Amino acid sequence: MAIENAHLTTLQGAYDVELMEVTLRVRRYAGEGSRPETRSYTVEVATTATLLDALDVVKDKLDGTLAYRKSCRMAVCGSCGMRMDGGAVLACKTAMKPFVDAGHVVTVSPMGNLPVIKDLVVDMAPFWQKVHAVKPFLDTGGVDDPETEWRVTPRQSALIAKESLCIMCGCCVSECNSMDSDPDFLGPAALAKAYRFVGDVRDGDARERLKELSGAHGIWDCTRCYFCNQRCPKGVDPRDAIAKLGGEAFREGIARDEGAKHAKVFVQSTYKGGYLRETELVPKTIGPIAAIQQLPFAFQLARAGKVPNPLAPHKAKDNAEVKRLWKLLEAQAPKHRERATRAPEGA
Amino acid sequence: MIRHDVVVVGAGCAGMRAAIEAKRRGVDVAVVSKLHPTRSHSGAAEGGINAALGNATEDSPESHTFDTVKGSDYLGDQDAIEIMCHEAPGDIYELEHMGAIFSRSDDGRLAQRPFGAAGAPRTVYSADITGNVLIHVLFEQLVKHEVKVYEEFHCTQIVVDDGRCAGVLAWDLVRGGIHAIEASQVILATGGVGRMYYGTTNAYACTGDGMSLAWRAGVPLKDMEFMQFHPTTLKSNGVLITEGCRGEGGYLRNSLGERFMAIDAPNAMELASRDVVSRAEWKEIADGRGVDGCVLLDLTHLGPKKIKTRLPGSRELALDYAGVDPIHEPIPVRPGAHYHMGGVDVDIWGETIIPGLWAAGEAACVSVHGANRLGGNSLMETITFGRRAGQAAGDRVRSNGDSGARIEASVVADERRRIAALLGAEGGERPAVLREEMAKTMYDKAGVFRTESALTEARAAVHALRDRARNLQLEDRGSLFNSDLVQALELEAMLECADCLVTGALARQESRGAHSRLDYTERDDDRWMKHTLCWHDGGEVRLDYKPVTVTKYQPLARSY
Repeated sequence: MAIENAHLTTLQGAYDVELMEVTLRVRRYAGEGSRPETRSYTVEVATTATLLDALDVVKDKLDGTLAYRKSCRMAVCGSCGMRMDGGAVLACKTAMKPFVDAGHVVTVSPMGNLPVIKDLVVDMAPFWQKVHAVKPFLDTGGVDDPETEWRVTPRQSALIAKESLCIMCGCCVSECNSMDSDPDFLGPAALAKAYRFVGDVRDGDARERLKELSGAHGIWDCTRCYFCNQRCPKGVDPRDAIAKLGGEAFREGIARDEGAKHAKVFVQSTYKGGYLRETELVPKTIGPIAAIQQLPFAFQLARAGKVPNPLAPHKAKDNAEVKRLWKLLEAQAPKHRERATRAPEGA
Repeated sequence: MIRHDVVVVGAGCAGMRAAIEAKRRGVDVAVVSKLHPTRSHSGAAEGGINAALGNATEDSPESHTFDTVKGSDYLGDQDAIEIMCHEAPGDIYELEHMGAIFSRSDDGRLAQRPFGAAGAPRTVYSADITGNVLIHVLFEQLVKHEVKVYEEFHCTQIVVDDGRCAGVLAWDLVRGGIHAIEASQVILATGGVGRMYYGTTNAYACTGDGMSLAWRAGVPLKDMEFMQFHPTTLKSNGVLITEGCRGEGGYLRNSLGERFMAIDAPNAMELASRDVVSRAEWKEIADGRGVDGCVLLDLTHLGPKKIKTRLPGSRELALDYAGVDPIHEPIPVRPGAHYHMGGVDVDIWGETIIPGLWAAGEAACVSVHGANRLGGNSLMETITFGRRAGQAAGDRVRSNGDSGARIEASVVADERRRIAALLGAEGGERPAVLREEMAKTMYDKAGVFRTESALTEARAAVHALRDRARNLQLEDRGSLFNSDLVQALELEAMLECADCLVTGALARQESRGAHSRLDYTERDDDRWMKHTLCWHDGGEVRLDYKPVTVTKYQPLARSY
């Protein structure tokens, strides 16, 4: 049958793209028993290409043995976390054009803090073990579900809005300094996941969760370096979630951990004098006996001029302003956890 | 040999929902997936999930049913559609009880937004990350229910023993090696096959693996010619820009600056149904009024404030992948393959013609979407029919116990030889070359508009590619994380699905829903109100047909 508009089957210019040349230095590792090496690849890619697109061209055209994970290529599945120039990125969310324009050759390597399997592929098992360790599911605490939905106001829902954006890519864990020194530290992703439940007004297990999280390798072991916030590609801000867990733990009166006591001294000391009294910090954090054991270290610090005179008055001139701020914050903080409600009777 | 009562292949929304439901029945359940569950493509769904809760305005499952039947262009099976629309509210409440973080109205109830071709605001959502929220809440439940997951295991075969499903064979991507995983019940939930098209919103993982496995095992694939094209996808990588941009007042313009939707849909304009808008765009571009193979999605008149508050995700995608800031410049967009209505032919519980083999989600065709899916219905289908398949498969184990079907050692040995041969093959072509040719062939000749001559060419090209794919050469011959091998297996699956698609499309001499023929422009209910079945016949596609189930709604002209 002759058709007048048969040309409509095919789009004109469907594959026309502007190209640029990009060079990547890629850390290659063929698995146990082999030695990592860095190889350079130069490929032509579209000017809109991401790091993932560039890796795809390398794999398709130059080296089929290159291994990396990918799936959605739109920054939602969390597969393609890797390091570029030493910091974690999602390969699919990182445009290459700025680097090409600047004449900078990027170096691509696997994420940190996780064992490497091959090339850019890391073993995510330790990552998931930590997520599993925070009891990552809703627990109403034995309360039966309502017939329809739980009533949760937009304000209550907003409490965990940032944490709900997490795609579990591992970029935060890759850059976590605490995990670097303590591989058992629960880490930013698992702790952000934990807050997703602690902050959920439908969850009835917050107290137990906070007790667990306040132990060794938990919330107080974070060094507050903020690398996780900086490297998160989704705006989850895991460090903020850890801070919120700390706040919740205080509210629940769970503050036996040294980290919690340490934080408490900051608050009390600034309230009293407007400044932090550093000489109080150690004994109040770790207790007087342990503090005495630290005396040789204290003398060492004193010799280096790192200890302020403990006898000098250490008080701000006008402490009233600090106290007002302190009271304002206290008044704003909710006194108890809110819980989701059921539909009103007869509704 | 590994053995479980129920094995679910695929871990998107349908697969995880099925696994959870089967596990609740006290049987031994495992999930086999080529990706970690949270990496699955369900997580990319943006808009929402449809259920007639009536939270925003009055609504009913009957109204949802009618909209879906009409949207399907009367190819959907009405019994299946009734089931989904009536069970949807309960399934949504259950997701909420599991912990899904949905958007709320001020009174704390689930918010519902209006979506295309729906009679009421019916779409439950979580901002523009509904899929992400669902995939994570289902994974949480998978952990809670202690379901065993074989992660990064790529399924290579469904084993049938004496007419019953005996389990699957799978390649361990991380460590290498073929494993036999026996099961009395196998549920396929492997998703769609958008990657057979050059322009697609689908993830790299959407390669039709489950459909191809079922087809080779002897199960017909249904309505494979129906591929929905989404009107607003980016040229650079196919990423979807949500319908919300047009919902908020965005315009579509051609190279002359004209709002061309005025021609085909003067009332609905940019908010006409997806197939109508895709066809209008495609016409503009093919007629030479495009801009670099695209039309322009213009949001500039909405102002920075509205764009930043209502459409932040879309702005970010445009900045990341098109290099344009929609506050200042229009976004170049074009239609891209988005959702495959066709799939493994199953009954209303998800069972195939092979006892013990089930399918759910986009991999399956129940059929609730018929010739055209409505926005918000795909996530709902994954949940409702995923649950039903898990429920029925779990109950089958409880009532019948071990099916007795077994995987013979010789079957495993044959598969190991096949993979070894593929790994060791010399002198063939790189899979990537064939993949690109296939994707361009499909986009150019089996896209939004189809003709006999274009489809004939497409079919010949696909057949030639299938021949060439028998002679592939891989560069990676190792067993450690060999994605080269997996991509070759995925290519074979896509080519088989493509063959079914073009064969079905060539035969269907009418225009219905997403299948638009320039040489047969009308819907022809007398000849074609029937499902296409594609059978595996010595490696070739053999066509057959079966009637559409009609309960209440006789076919009417579909206009909006």
